[in-house]
Amino acid sequence: MSAGTAPVERPRGGLIGFAASDRGAQVASVIAALLFWQLLGSGIDRVPTPAEVVDFFFEQASNGVLWAAFYNTLDNFIPGLAIALVVGVALGLALGMSSIVRALLNDIVVVGLAVPGVIWALLVILWFGFSWKAPVTAVALTAIPFIAINVSQGVRGVSRDLMRMSKAFGVPRTKQVRQLVLPSVMDYVFAGFRFGVILGWNAVLLAEWFGGRNGVGYQTRLFYDSNDFTGFVSWVVFFIVFIVLVDRLLLERVQRRTFRWREQGAAKLKGGA
Amino acid sequence: MGGVAVGDPRLRNRRTRGLAVSRRWRQAALVVAGWLAFLGLWTYAAHNWVNPFILPTPANVLDEMWLIVSSGELFEHFQWSLLKTLAGFGLAIAIGLPIGFAMGRSRWWRAFFHMPVTVAGNIPGITYAVMALVIFGISLEGPILAVALISMPYIAINVAAGLDGIDRGLMAMSTAFGRTGRQVLRHVLLPTVIPFVFAGIRLSFALAWKVEAITEVFGASNGVGYMIRQSYDHFSVAGILAWMFFFVIFIVLMERFVLQAIERRIFRWRPAEVTS
Repeated sequence: MSAGTAPVERPRGGLIGFAASDRGAQVASVIAALLFWQLLGSGIDRVPTPAEVVDFFFEQASNGVLWAAFYNTLDNFIPGLAIALVVGVALGLALGMSSIVRALLNDIVVVGLAVPGVIWALLVILWFGFSWKAPVTAVALTAIPFIAINVSQGVRGVSRDLMRMSKAFGVPRTKQVRQLVLPSVMDYVFAGFRFGVILGWNAVLLAEWFGGRNGVGYQTRLFYDSNDFTGFVSWVVFFIVFIVLVDRLLLERVQRRTFRWREQGAAKLKGGA
Repeated sequence: MGGVAVGDPRLRNRRTRGLAVSRRWRQAALVVAGWLAFLGLWTYAAHNWVNPFILPTPANVLDEMWLIVSSGELFEHFQWSLLKTLAGFGLAIAIGLPIGFAMGRSRWWRAFFHMPVTVAGNIPGITYAVMALVIFGISLEGPILAVALISMPYIAINVAAGLDGIDRGLMAMSTAFGRTGRQVLRHVLLPTVIPFVFAGIRLSFALAWKVEAITEVFGASNGVGYMIRQSYDHFSVAGILAWMFFFVIFIVLMERFVLQAIERRIFRWRPAEVTS
């Protein structure tokens, strides 16, 4: 559903071979999605067609509303994520490495996992009112448990032999964390972070919808409240496209690049040892 | 952090019963201590740091919870939410099963559905809530649609994966003995796939339950999310927290008991390790 781009309909008379290939299937899938949307748009009054959304995109982009809203949202989203990353990783390490911490805090983190973003969003608005603290806290509270649980599972998957050996040789705890635990939980951190990005995006939008004075969620609500369904659906499309692009194009790529060392590293380690 | 005693492998090797029991007691004591510390901190904060309107004490929230139970609201609204969630899963199976079948049986359809399904499974829940709002307005169908949309990708992907692992020998034998396509579907494919449909539901249950609530917060006239919205509209933090705890307790109970029990039953034929 690459909905943000202009709906370029390819000429149908392509090669049969292309149509039968994977690439052909993907193209067919995009065309089918756009057709379905077009049908929905012409069938249901309240749903705009793709062309209307594209028009609206250019309108909002040229009058600057689009950039301002995304800027304001990211201004809350990124600090919230940063807090979630730091607290989540620290909490996850503690949960994974110490059975005492695990016994003390595991239940509470599990409860945190089960709390939906919308409850945090409503609570932070009642707590902080219309301040920037509300969306930032909503993002952090939603994402922390997921990152922490992922990291703690990663820590528990760290080779027990290596842990025992480092303990036997009296390696200090900080060194253990830095040189043994952290490198091997990095992909858990990243997986948790990716999930946290999606959930945090959800939370920031909800917080802005219910109690923001600017940002993407606020804009979306503005159009909903004024019964402008073209504007409303377009804004929904904008925030979906944004998060899909961030997740697929940015995070996935970074993740792949970050872990490329692994094969090379493994080979080197074998040679070096 | 004195994690040495509990994590020490030597203790694990000494299988003396007394030690095991005392370890379990210690563990339980720590869990209780964790909760007490949490509640203590909360009570202290509610009394000293902020006013009780912003953060009610645990006792206030407990009162509120009791009110919700005794007035019958709990049962009524959970029933509605659960019914809508189940209906949503029904719809998700109706859509996801054929898609999963197509993906599992044909490479072309796999490529066709790959992107829509991964995207649909990875977009924020608010999307489905507002989609339901656009299409149905304030309604009963909205949450059902939202649940169906969020859990469908999980069912489709699981079914596709399940068909991938289907016993090829069994398929070859069926054709060798001249079974019709319908018979193969009925006796080989469906039985293989049903556990995977369930696995999809199990994976997406917590997510679907949350999206159901979000959708009700946006537009509904009953259900747990609707009650959360009511509390919010009345500026009742205690109300939100009370419903939140019921919500969480429900998820935990479902995960720990109902879903795990069904899963064990359905996957009983598998070797123990695979069930995880």
